[in-house]
Formats: sequence, structure tokens, C-alpha cells
Amino acid sequence: MSWRNSIAAAVLGLICFLPAVPVLAADAAPVDQATIEQNRKANAECYSCHSAAGIKNPPKAGLDLGKLKDSRLEPEVFNPSDHGVMDCRQCHAKNHYAEYPHAEAGKAATSPCTECHAAKSLRLEPQFNASVHAKNKGLKEKFTCSTCHNAHVSIVQKRLKDPAKIVAQDNHGCLECHDSDLIFAKFAPDGEKTPGTKKKRPDIDAIHDWLPNAKAHWNAVRCIECHTPAVAEGKMLSHEILNKEKAEKKCLSCHSANSTLKVRLYRHMVKEEQQKYGFTNSVMLSTSYIIGATRHPLLDSIIIALAVATLLGVLLHGAIRIVMNARRNKGKSQ
Amino acid sequence: MSERVYLLPLWVRLWHWTNALLIITLTITGISLHFADPKLPLVEFSLAARIHDIAGLALVAAYAFFAVANIVSGNWWQYVPKPPGIIDRCMVQARWYLWGIFQGEPHPYPVTKEVNFNAMQALVYWFIMYIMMPTLLVTGLVFMFPQFAPEHVFGMDGLLPVAVLHYLTGTAIVLFMIAHMYLGTTGHTVTTMFKTMITGWHEH
Repeated sequence: MSWRNSIAAAVLGLICFLPAVPVLAADAAPVDQATIEQNRKANAECYSCHSAAGIKNPPKAGLDLGKLKDSRLEPEVFNPSDHGVMDCRQCHAKNHYAEYPHAEAGKAATSPCTECHAAKSLRLEPQFNASVHAKNKGLKEKFTCSTCHNAHVSIVQKRLKDPAKIVAQDNHGCLECHDSDLIFAKFAPDGEKTPGTKKKRPDIDAIHDWLPNAKAHWNAVRCIECHTPAVAEGKMLSHEILNKEKAEKKCLSCHSANSTLKVRLYRHMVKEEQQKYGFTNSVMLSTSYIIGATRHPLLDSIIIALAVATLLGVLLHGAIRIVMNARRNKGKSQ
Repeated sequence: MSERVYLLPLWVRLWHWTNALLIITLTITGISLHFADPKLPLVEFSLAARIHDIAGLALVAAYAFFAVANIVSGNWWQYVPKPPGIIDRCMVQARWYLWGIFQGEPHPYPVTKEVNFNAMQALVYWFIMYIMMPTLLVTGLVFMFPQFAPEHVFGMDGLLPVAVLHYLTGTAIVLFMIAHMYLGTTGHTVTTMFKTMITGWHEH
């Protein structure tokens, strides 16, 4: 086949393939206001049962309130989320939810995330496969995107903006399992030393006892700042979650003028003023004073100059004393 | 032959050397933390943080001891610059440091059991011990327990002014320490004052 034919075949193939590719969520056009209103009106029907108000005043008799409590959601939480512009039935197959009680098959027929996020999923899959969540035996099969990312709540970093909110949201995804024996047990692989028993949840405080002020770190940065591999500027953080042996333990990665937090927690603020009031990495100062990273170079220079001047001053004073003393002694001896 | 006077009780000497050791430790670890950089290998960061925390708390305890012992013993009075004529006495003292000492002139205000410090010393010590030190310790404690820092100040983390104040007062104390160590050599001989701080006996 000539190169012309190869290109023609590739273009033809691409044209034929395109209609089969699902919508790429990241590139999707913003949803217009009329559609949002329409979707929210449709969702109100779901909320009439699946919300605190619905449970308090059930619109129908004989509802299983126990089950409802497990599947309740508040519009105030869902609407601001990334998926909050969508109709519930876009993911929760509409043909199973038209009637009450809903068909049993409905839950299994929930659309997978890949239906919209196909391209991203392809890119992230190798990273996830290298992750501790996939490497541990029997764990990979239990993991889906929603194990860590709550599709009803999650807001992407760029929209959430406030680093404190980003930290709270993302760490919740980790701590939901890693700070709960009950949930951890559902995913726990077999224990390494005692086969047949499940691995016990490591105590989160004990495994981080090397880290000074661990609690302060958990409020200020995400678990993934240390538990993901190095990332290039402008790139998304990897989905390869590193175990405690591979995780970052060099404090200076964050606590230095060239802090990696610039390309991690604060990467969405990269276009903002970085030297406000003369501070290095001033965007970080919006939420955290990070020793070593948020310095004031001019103040540092003044202080170093003062220290040097004091040292030189006492050295000079001492030298003059020695010289004058020697001269006096010489005078006396003459 | 030189005259001797018992000047410094044991508690002052013990407190002084504890203070000195802690401040030197805090200075080295503080520099390691503030100027943290892979190209500046001082004390490893997490180790420096732990040592700084422990030494900082020890300094708070040492200061509390100093404050109580000072009140009980009446030593606090030594730190109070006493008028009248403070400025004149300071000028005389400054002239000695800048001129008289080179000429071999005697100390203008020799130490007595009743008055340990010259006017300039009293002023500086008072400022360091009653203004700088408490500020350094309080900001250090807020640094250690940041939940007590204001949430935000001028759109920035409320810990920022605390950190800057800690840095500035820490620097003032380090600069004082350099000068203090040097001025310790200006006694009857170079080592006289250091010996006084060990034995308690002052030599004229």
C-alpha cells in the first residue's frame, strides 16, 4: 500500500470510527441553561423520594425508608457538583426507574464512567494498573472510579478553586476507607503473614508518625501530594497511588522555594500572581504558610545582611582591641 | 590583685547556660527550616522540625522558670533601666565601647552586688527578655498549635504574620546572642566574664 493509500485508509477509518466514540466529557460543550433547568425539573421527581425531605414526607405509602436513606442525595450537594447539570437518568438507566418499585436490574444498569470519560479512562488505566490499589491481590476487581470519586459530589480542582476545599474533598476519598475499619475490610486483601485472614487497616497515625505535625499536613495538603509519582508542570496528577514504601518522604519536595505543590495542589492557580507582596509562591499563602516555600527573598536578604554586619562588626571591634592592646603593651615595654 | 564578688546565684547560672544551649539549638534548626533548600544541607528537615519543637517547648519552660525565679529572688529589678540619667549613662557606656575600650580605660560603671548591669545592658536585656523573648515564645507556640492563629489576614493565611513575627524576633535574639558572646570577652581578661557565669564570682 502506498503512503497516499495509507493516509486515505486512516482518514476513512477515523470517519467511520468517530460516531462510535462516546462523548468526551472534558471537551463537551457547556450545557445551556434551558437544558439545566429541564434536567433539574426531571431530577426533582427523584428528589421527591431520594432526599431528606422525601424521607420525612414520603410521597407514596409503603416506601422502604431504610433503602431510601442509603440512596438519598440533596440537590444542594449534587447541583454544584461536576455532574450537577445532568439528568439523574443519564447515568441511572431511565427504563428501569419509570415505575415504583424500581426494577432490580436498575442498579446494575448504571452507566459506567467510561461511557462519557472514555479517552481519559484509556489514559489513566495504565497508571491505575501500576497503583497499590491494583497491585494488591484481589483489589483491582473491587475498584471502580466511584470507589474514590463520588460522582454526586466531586468538583474538579479548577472549579473548586479554594485549596482548602480541594484538600477536604480529595482526602475524604482516601480517608473514607483508610480511616474506617468497616469500609477498609470490604476491600482488604489477604494478610501477607497470615493467609486466609484479611489485612488489617494500618493505623493512619502510626504509619505517619515520622511526619512532623501530621494532622496539620492532612488539613493543608492532599494524601496524593506524597502518594503519587512526580508530575510535570501543567500535567494532571497520576492515578498511580504509591504505597508507603514508594511515597514521597523528602520534606524539601514541598518545603523549599521550588516546591512541587506549585504543580500539584496549586496547579490550577498557576496563572495567578506568584510573587504577591514579594513572597515566593504567594498563591500558597492564600491558604497556608509553608515554611521553606513561602519566603520573602528581600526580607531574607536584609536579615542575612544584618547577621553578616553583626559578625563583621564584632570581628572588627575585636581586631581593633587586639591591635590597640598590642600597641599599648609595646609602649609600656619601651 | 583583682577584687572578687559573688554575683550570680546558681539558679541564674543554670538558667543562663540552659538558655544558651537551647537558643543555639533553635538557631541551627530554625535556619535549617526557614532556609530549607536541597543545596543547603544543614539539619535534615523532619529532624530539624522535631528538635525545634522540643527545644522550643524547653525554652518556654526555661522562660517560665526564669520569670518565677526572677520575681521570687527580686532579680527582676536588675533588668529595670533606672532613671534619672539613663541616656547620659548609655552615652558614657557607648563611648567606652567605641573608644575607651581601645584605649585601655576601665569600665565606666563597674559591676557591684547591688547593680549587675550598666544602663545600656539593662535597657537591652530588658528589651530582649521582656519584649522579644515573650513574643518569640508566643509566636512559636501559635506556630506549633496553628488552630490559635487567625484564619486569614489580608487574604492570606493567618499564620503568615505569626511566622514573620517569629522570624524577626528570632533574628533579633540571634543578633543579640552574637553581640552578647563577643561582649563577654570585654571583662578584666577575655575569659573573666565566662568564668563568672560558671562560678558565680565576678572579678574586677
